[in-house]
Amino acid sequence: MRSLEPWVEAPLSEFLAESAARLTLLMTSAGQVVAQHGFTRALDVMAAAALGAGIMASTFELAKVMGTRPLGSVVHQGSTVGVYLASFETPRGRWLGLVVFGRETSLGLVQLFFETLASDLARAAPAEEPPRQVLAENFEAELNNSLRALFGR
Amino acid sequence: MPLVNFTTREITCKLVYYGPGRCGKTTNLLYVHGRVPEDRRGTMVSLATQSDRTLFFDFLPLELGVISGFTTRFQLYTVPGQVYYNATRRLVLQGADGVVFVADSQARRFDDNLESFQNLQENLLEQGVDIRQLPLVLQYNKQDLPADLILAPPDLDDAFNFRGVPSHPADALHGAGVFETLKTLSGLVLSRLATRPPAA
Repeated sequence: MRSLEPWVEAPLSEFLAESAARLTLLMTSAGQVVAQHGFTRALDVMAAAALGAGIMASTFELAKVMGTRPLGSVVHQGSTVGVYLASFETPRGRWLGLVVFGRETSLGLVQLFFETLASDLARAAPAEEPPRQVLAENFEAELNNSLRALFGR
Repeated sequence: MPLVNFTTREITCKLVYYGPGRCGKTTNLLYVHGRVPEDRRGTMVSLATQSDRTLFFDFLPLELGVISGFTTRFQLYTVPGQVYYNATRRLVLQGADGVVFVADSQARRFDDNLESFQNLQENLLEQGVDIRQLPLVLQYNKQDLPADLILAPPDLDDAFNFRGVPSHPADALHGAGVFETLKTLSGLVLSRLATRPPAA
């Protein structure tokens, strides 16, 4: 498991143990990864997060167009795996969860324990830290070298 | 602000390529995808129509390397340019750390550029983002076309660049200006993380 902030780990571990989900991804509504379990390559996680956030964003818009309340979750059920996508509020804004599960568990269990995860995270979130300087002031030389290397220049 | 993971020392930035339909947003990403080594990029995701017009977005994650001890990643997105996809554009724009506005340099596309640029400002404003506060780079694409069909960068600057933000002429199909645009925008976005916050 990898997470952006340590307070996410305990609720997420409990969810993984209880739900028997294969892959789980928590992200912001803009598609930025907050925590993940089961993905092996960082860049593929980002693609999954972008797609998951896109699905949820379009689901919200669809509800608006239909004049109904926002749909909180979406399920894609395949023959061997299912994907459960849900949004929930935290003190850090609206987050999304993407859960991939197999036949060893069920949609009902995933939904049940995801609701617990959402409320545990909302409770566990500490107050946001004030912004601080992250990069050295002369970071641009490193940035330019990295970009040149990336583009083979 | 870019997402910073202090535990794993990672920075993730969301950069969005915006502009009118067929201006070359997807072409920018395709060029980057083609130039960057496979181990430094993820799969390019394109949600497009059957005729290859962007329907929802294109997405390309890049691993830049280590900067000031932080593994830095860029998420490059494009929006669909066609006028009637505005709801989708708003969704993709959400949480953007920086924007490249890709203008089509052809004189006959002037009004489309203008409409798209105004649309960018409206959509940002709707999300509570003042375009003056967001890192923005203008790219004048298709400068390789015959001179009598296009507007020169100074003319495009006069029309669109009243804020005096960085601008680059480009030929995204062959790569000219693509690297420079990305370099400028990433510098602007990351410089926000290199600024010392005001003392309390």
